[in-house]
Amino acid sequence: MIWLIFLPLLIAPLLYLIFGKTPMVKYFTLGYFVFLLLESFALLGTTPPSGYLELGSFLSVEAFDFVLDLRIDYLSAIMLILTSALLVLVTLSSWSQMSASYFALLLFFSGPIFGVFATTNLLWFFIFWELTLVPMYFLVGIWGGERRIYAAVKFFLYTHVASMLILLAFFILYKESGYFDITMIKESMIGSASLVWWLLFIGFAVKMPIFPFHTWLPDAHVQAPAPISVLLAGVLLKMGAYAMIRFAILLLPHQAQNFAIVMVVLGVITLVYAGFMALYETHLKKMIAYSSISHMGLVLIAIATLSFDGLGAALYEMIAHAFIISPLFLIAGILHHKTGSWQMHDMGGLMQKAPYLSAVFVIAGLGALGMPFTMGFIGEFTILISAIKSFGYPLALIALGSIIAASYMIWSYRRVIYGELSALVAQSDFRLGGVEFGALVIFALVIVILGIFPHLIFESINTAFAQFVGGAL
Amino acid sequence: MSLVSALIWLPFIGAIVTFVLGKRNEKLAFWSAYLTSGLLFVFALITFVGFSEPIVIETTWFSYGEIVVPFGFYIDSLALVMLLIATGLGFLDIHFSHDYMASDPHQPRYYAKVLFFIGGMIVLVSAKELTGAFVGWELMGLASYWLISFWHHQKAPADAGVSAFLFTKMGDIFLFAAMGLLFVAAGSFDFQTLNALATQGTIHPTLLYTVALFIFIAAIGKSGQFPLFPWLMRAMEGPTTVSALIHGATMVNSGIYIVARLFDFYVASQTLLIIAGVGALSAFIGASSALVQKEMKKILAYSTMSHLSLAFIGLGAGSLAMGMAHLTNHAIFKALLFLSAGAVIMSAAHTKDIFKLGGLERKMPLVALFMLVGAMSLSGIPPFSGFFSKDAIIASTIANTSTLIATFTFVAGLLSIAYITRLWVMLFLGTPRNETIYHKTTAPSNFWIALPLGIMAALTLLMGFYQEELKHFIDAKEAHEAHMGWLMPLLFVLMALLVGVVYLFYFRRADVRDKLAAQPLMKSIHQVLFNGYYIEKMIFWFAHTMVVQGIARAIFWFDRYVVDAFIDAVPKIAKSITDTLGKTHNVAVGYQSSVMLLGVVIVLFVLLLKGLV
Repeated sequence: MIWLIFLPLLIAPLLYLIFGKTPMVKYFTLGYFVFLLLESFALLGTTPPSGYLELGSFLSVEAFDFVLDLRIDYLSAIMLILTSALLVLVTLSSWSQMSASYFALLLFFSGPIFGVFATTNLLWFFIFWELTLVPMYFLVGIWGGERRIYAAVKFFLYTHVASMLILLAFFILYKESGYFDITMIKESMIGSASLVWWLLFIGFAVKMPIFPFHTWLPDAHVQAPAPISVLLAGVLLKMGAYAMIRFAILLLPHQAQNFAIVMVVLGVITLVYAGFMALYETHLKKMIAYSSISHMGLVLIAIATLSFDGLGAALYEMIAHAFIISPLFLIAGILHHKTGSWQMHDMGGLMQKAPYLSAVFVIAGLGALGMPFTMGFIGEFTILISAIKSFGYPLALIALGSIIAASYMIWSYRRVIYGELSALVAQSDFRLGGVEFGALVIFALVIVILGIFPHLIFESINTAFAQFVGGAL
Repeated sequence: MSLVSALIWLPFIGAIVTFVLGKRNEKLAFWSAYLTSGLLFVFALITFVGFSEPIVIETTWFSYGEIVVPFGFYIDSLALVMLLIATGLGFLDIHFSHDYMASDPHQPRYYAKVLFFIGGMIVLVSAKELTGAFVGWELMGLASYWLISFWHHQKAPADAGVSAFLFTKMGDIFLFAAMGLLFVAAGSFDFQTLNALATQGTIHPTLLYTVALFIFIAAIGKSGQFPLFPWLMRAMEGPTTVSALIHGATMVNSGIYIVARLFDFYVASQTLLIIAGVGALSAFIGASSALVQKEMKKILAYSTMSHLSLAFIGLGAGSLAMGMAHLTNHAIFKALLFLSAGAVIMSAAHTKDIFKLGGLERKMPLVALFMLVGAMSLSGIPPFSGFFSKDAIIASTIANTSTLIATFTFVAGLLSIAYITRLWVMLFLGTPRNETIYHKTTAPSNFWIALPLGIMAALTLLMGFYQEELKHFIDAKEAHEAHMGWLMPLLFVLMALLVGVVYLFYFRRADVRDKLAAQPLMKSIHQVLFNGYYIEKMIFWFAHTMVVQGIARAIFWFDRYVVDAFIDAVPKIAKSITDTLGKTHNVAVGYQSSVMLLGVVIVLFVLLLKGLV
């Protein structure tokens, strides 16, 4: 399985050198991602309900436990499916607009991201974690908007500082336990566990992102090309949440218990704070970016419950968020591309001009505001219940998040989709390629189908956290 | 059992089929929707005929962790009454739409959304648990938003949709929170279980009280009570058939339904008096504002608010059957009134202002007759259905609640006859006030327009004779009927007096009315009433000035000038370091500064490693 990580790293540049500007690169990339998706499903199928599926150890440097251990449990397998599904959809969404080098970078990106979810070795995890940033940096820096350099640097530096904290934490873990392999580390071995927890928490909170470490995200999103925003929101943010669960919670449950209140307070602040930011924002893509942050606040609240149902709700919301926020970013990108404006008040009447595109925007927006029969509702609902169960009645104020979300979403419909046809929209041509539109339709279908039949994925999610039955963490 | 699943799924499948077929051929949209809604009504009717005891279907929606979320169905007599209203009136509404929406270019969308709307109501009323009800509740909110904004390319309907969605959503979040609180406190979403637990006193009284109020706030939003009513009047921007659907068959009934569904819960929570109080206030606001409106649809909208309040007061006064009976009667005569108004609007060159109409009785005698039946029922004149339920509610407030509530209810109930007489007189009697409109007015079709009105008028009359049966069907427990010997004669005398005043002011001596209206005091009262006591302005002021321009803006400022400014300093420092090293500003700068940071990390790493090894 190690080739799933390193093959893309080697092939991506080779492919670009050999085939250069031909469409061969994107066909190969798409084919590989589809294969990766099928492979991820196969991995989920073979993973035992409890414990890990051993995929072997490689590149062993025994001296300081620098071994590439590849192990997959249900949590990683679900994350792999989500990631590869998004990679397929991102490729489709960029189909006719982007050059070969772009697709080569996407292919390159898939290597380390696979490693992030598949390894249990902290050091290798860190290497892959950092490696994902390299293609991202170029994807934002080359294909981004006017202030792309500022955004790319901010994104890169910000997450780098966070990475230093994470590395420091990993290192203390090694120093005190003698292992980099998390399956060998027990919380009881760690003397300075609370310091480690804080380092990890802040490090991952930047990635998720959680208030007050969120300011890199709106800039990065606005400057990134739309499909890359999808990767940012759907994959990189989820990487942060995944790492938060894997290391800050599962590895250090007692510390997590001690600081659960910190997480829940920050989660609620993020939910409301980012919601109000979105409410005041007139820039379409920034509004969506803040909505994205707001939903990650919900994820953190769910994680903080440290319970069987709470973690399940968190994982569901992560998947829901990926599918809901992606089409919103894509459509915002299309609108900007066609009209040249980001401002919602420049638009209006899109429904008259592009009804089907508007319909996808509406469905995804309904997901974001938690309409029943979309994934958003299930996520919000399950989180509400687990939060009240774990933290008591005051957490009912999570419901406040939904009126804020409803306000900014309904207003964005009013400004962008409904109302009189604006001059800018009237003169633009919103016709889309079939492949790009197909990708949007898939997003919308997933939002609705998994919103009506959530048990389709909850079965796997429940298995992922079944070890916490009875709340024993 | 399969009939129930058909009732649940058919509207949604029908909506999709209608849209797809309609895209191929405009005409097919109507027929598909007509057939679907007809089938729905037939299914509801079959269920009603074969009904002996509640139909229960238990299903699990999904489970996560140790929590199982059910999505069951429970159809008892209460649900069945609501089902019959929603599907029956929905069917007549679609029948009426054939002509009313005939010239609209977006019929597939219209019919699909109407079916979706009815479907939401069906899910709500047949749900066994709060979760299922919430799903229906929200889907209906969505459908109403879509339908109110149906002509979304115009400013006013688009704005009206926003306000309908947000006003009701403001209430919905309380239902959402209540759902979470109840599940954690009582371990169940099931209506019957919750009723039983509340009656036994298992739920902590404070929590019970809070949750009951939360759910009532949601009901206030959906059923257009004080202070969340302004969306009801704005909703008049949608097609009139949609108004009839919202105000008669579906949406506004849901708030009262949910309180009725949890009636034992409410009795145990001791919040009934609050419900009656809010109801009485809303009834008064609605009835008095209806007196001075110029648009016929707005008169009817305020009247809806006022009559829903009466239903709430009926519940609040302690009688489930009385509240629901009035809701049922109201649904029928209000749908009748709205559709009659729709018939007038479409025939009279889309005029909604009653001061531009008049004398239409000669142009459309049938519509005038049927609307008169609706008006008499609304005013509470025997033997029409409204008389029985409305007067019983007024009597029971005097017996069971405070004097204040009883007074407000009495006045509101009495005012019904004034505003509805004013409306009817202005539309149908006298001489035309605008000749051009009058001459353009054509008689509507008998089959597509007058027939559904006639059916509803007949029902209004018929229901008058079956009030006791209706009450008994809804709640078999003996309803404690309050009898007030002196009330009825007093009401009739005052009603006759009011009719006389209206007749004088609006038919015989408009000059007296105008002279009176010119008085400064009357003018300001008129302004207050006309603007619905300025509640909408106050809420908008609060939402805009306090929330968006206040809180949101402050957070925005804080984010930009405190949080982000601090963060921005970091790359600036990094940049200045690379600048001093003699690099130029280009793509590479950012990258190099980050590489430098990576270098720092690696050095740190190696140093730490050295320290360890």
